[in-house]
Amino acid sequence: MKRGLLILVFGLIAAAAAYGCIYFACTSSARNMERSEKPELAWLKDEFNLSDAEFKHVSELHSAYLPQCQEMCKMIDAQNVELQKLLVGATNVTPEIESALAQASRLRAECQTMMLRHFMQVSQTMPPEQGRRYLAWVKEKAFQPNYGMSEKP
Amino acid sequence: MKNSEPIGNDEKLSKVLREWKADAALPPRFQEGVWRKIESTSAACATMSLWNVFAHWIGTLLPRPVMATAYVAVLLTIGATAGLTQAHQTNARVKGELGERYVRVLDPYQTPRN
Repeated sequence: MKRGLLILVFGLIAAAAAYGCIYFACTSSARNMERSEKPELAWLKDEFNLSDAEFKHVSELHSAYLPQCQEMCKMIDAQNVELQKLLVGATNVTPEIESALAQASRLRAECQTMMLRHFMQVSQTMPPEQGRRYLAWVKEKAFQPNYGMSEKP
Repeated sequence: MKNSEPIGNDEKLSKVLREWKADAALPPRFQEGVWRKIESTSAACATMSLWNVFAHWIGTLLPRPVMATAYVAVLLTIGATAGLTQAHQTNARVKGELGERYVRVLDPYQTPRN
């Protein structure tokens, strides 16, 4: 009975050990990505099988794009603040409101053009097949027909 | 004499028993109570037998080398399969989140504001 119990417990410990070893071994790349300095770029390298040279080029494009993106964020925020001010207490669509809305549309178009340009540059640094896959994926994520309509407040 | 007395007593007893009639009524829900008792006894027997089977398996079958090897192999397979399945789910979740994060970082309309 004692030997049987020992085997029973040993089997359970072996199962738990197998679970832990396989789980930690198979998730190590995901953990490394999460721990990296720029997890989103680490993901991009992994997802689109980029070589070190391709990844370096993509990282440079990414770093060059971010300041433009931040500048655009500031302009969008400022535009939103202005629009909200105009909308407070408004009961008619005044020329100022029309102008602010037109400016917001222009900003959105500029922003989308800038993004698309960046995505295309990035796709061109990848091998052709991966570049096509990247563009298809990113268009689906950032250029859906209902773009901006499901934004959270 | 000694042998005949008990026989005589038995005859008397038999006579008394033949003449005796039970007039007392059964207690309420007597039949239901009897069945309940039978059921609970059967359930207890079933539990005992399951435990006996388990104890027998541990005590006599599991220590056999073939059985022990098979048992450990099955548990190892179950553990490894569970680990692999869970790892796939975790990887898919992490990759999905990082992909979303990549787009959020680049899209001013999705970038989280401070």
